[in-house]
Amino acid sequence: MPRTIVRALHSYAFTIAGIAIGVAGLVALGAMSERIVRFIEGGDHFVLGQISVAGRGMGMGAGFTAGGLLPATTIRAIAEVPGVAAVQPQVMLPLNPSTSQFMTLTQELVLGVDLSVPTPNRHYRTLPVRAGRFLREGDQRVAVAGAAFAASRGLEVGSRITLEGEAYEVVGVLERMLTAPDRFVIVPIADARRQWVAKDPLLRTVLASGAAALRAADLNTGAAVGWREGEDPDALARRIRERVPGVNAQIPSELSSLLRSSTAFFSSLVVGIGALGFAIGGLSVANTIAAAVFERLRDFGIKRALGATDAQLGREVLAEALGVTLSGGVVGVAVALALGVSIDGWAGRSGQQLFLFSPRLLVGALVFSVLLGAAAAVYATLRVVRLSPAEAIRRGA
Amino acid sequence: MLRAEGLVKTYRAPDGGPIPVLKGIDLKVAAGELVVILGASGSGKSTLLNLLGLLEDPDAGGVWFGGERVNVLGRSARSRARGRFVGFVFQSFLLLPSLTALENVLLAARYAGRAGPTTRQRALALLDELGVLERRDHYPPQISGGEQQRVAFCRAVLNDPPLLLADEPTGNLDDANARVILESLRARARAGAAVVVVGHRPEAAEGASAVFRLQNGALA
Repeated sequence: MPRTIVRALHSYAFTIAGIAIGVAGLVALGAMSERIVRFIEGGDHFVLGQISVAGRGMGMGAGFTAGGLLPATTIRAIAEVPGVAAVQPQVMLPLNPSTSQFMTLTQELVLGVDLSVPTPNRHYRTLPVRAGRFLREGDQRVAVAGAAFAASRGLEVGSRITLEGEAYEVVGVLERMLTAPDRFVIVPIADARRQWVAKDPLLRTVLASGAAALRAADLNTGAAVGWREGEDPDALARRIRERVPGVNAQIPSELSSLLRSSTAFFSSLVVGIGALGFAIGGLSVANTIAAAVFERLRDFGIKRALGATDAQLGREVLAEALGVTLSGGVVGVAVALALGVSIDGWAGRSGQQLFLFSPRLLVGALVFSVLLGAAAAVYATLRVVRLSPAEAIRRGA
Repeated sequence: MLRAEGLVKTYRAPDGGPIPVLKGIDLKVAAGELVVILGASGSGKSTLLNLLGLLEDPDAGGVWFGGERVNVLGRSARSRARGRFVGFVFQSFLLLPSLTALENVLLAARYAGRAGPTTRQRALALLDELGVLERRDHYPPQISGGEQQRVAFCRAVLNDPPLLLADEPTGNLDDANARVILESLRARARAGAAVVVVGHRPEAAEGASAVFRLQNGALA
């Protein structure tokens, strides 16, 4: 390593370390914030891509389509509503029914999909598969696992998983989406219906009594409805409500608002974490740079005594500040990445991911720290040059 | 070369009361002259030198370099005037600890826009002349006080300034180093520079064109 670089690193080691700590704090808090944003936005993106319909009444299933039973006749009626492009029957069940239903955003879910109908969700025509393949029509006793679901159980393509006493082969693992499907295990709808019956004693009793004329195709917790091109999804949802009795059709924009209001706490947390990151990181960077300039008051006094003008000193300080903040920023980003990856490596064993280091965050943190460092350097220099050289030398001695 | 008229400087005591230090100093130093100002500690010698070298502003009075009144110039213009006209030798050397001896010497040239191979050669020659060439790559804390003052002297004269101001240049030196520095200052005067030395050691006055004593804020 060239001698000058070694010297510079030695001279500024503590300053760079101080900035690195600030930037690391900013990036780490920002990455947690990004993670929460991605989760909320992912849910929002999903609900705006389809009309979710459930049977009116108390929830028999779970998840987004929680509601009463949605029999096959009703699904056919929905399909006939003008503007509807496709209706995909679904069964959504909590994997562990003892888990609170209020925790649907984080609980693990079994999603049964009718593979004879293409997925109508406009924003998720297909779910991204990291390994293996997605389900195909005609599949039986096979499953596609969400990333967190797979990670928490060490599942890979070819692994076997037992759901309600039945063995399933994992044929695919989804990419990490940082939103709800990460915790899904997706199976063909016929398999999901069997699991539902196995899970629900009340449903078993009803079916065994013969009191209700139910066929397998009637066992749907909900349906995803797609709309034709040019159709207003909110208007179509209202039309479905009017024309098909006994359904609860979610209006996408209302559901999005509902989702956002229900995640208002997380949104506030995001803003709080982001503000905290900016305050801690920003103050740390600005303070470190300003302190580094004030620390060298005597040096500046000497340089001015030797004839350095304000502009020459300003350029010198600015160049040093940019170099130091950039170095500190890069080290800080590296520290935050190392910390985040380590923690996520540990948390990943239970399927969790706490940090999301997006490019916009990393670049933004670097640019922010460099700009703030430059501003702090300019401010400190302006303060310093106001002193006479003799005063600067005296005070800095 | 240097003219000062009616220089007044008053400091403020912690209780806000005035401490008059200089009460109207007049001084003229021509090119080739060596002027020595002696005075007790706290008599205002360093303050006077700071005013003469534009390191501080007087409360009243003026300073002229070669006929141009320079103490009324703007901050950057005064900096340029310092770089063009003045070389400083300080009692505590005031070398930058993060720079090598050679880099310290070259610093003055950098701000005067004279950095280049010729200047570097001249800096090396000066270090050689003062007997510290072998210390060129050492940092100030790695060399003795006497060697630091020699390096500081090289820095002061690198740009060949017409005015050399030395503030107790031998105050922290042993006799041998003190002799080297004083002789070098005299040599600069002989070479045509106007040299002002303030101090309290009588030997500084040897070979001086004029010797003044600063007492009660006035030159006698």
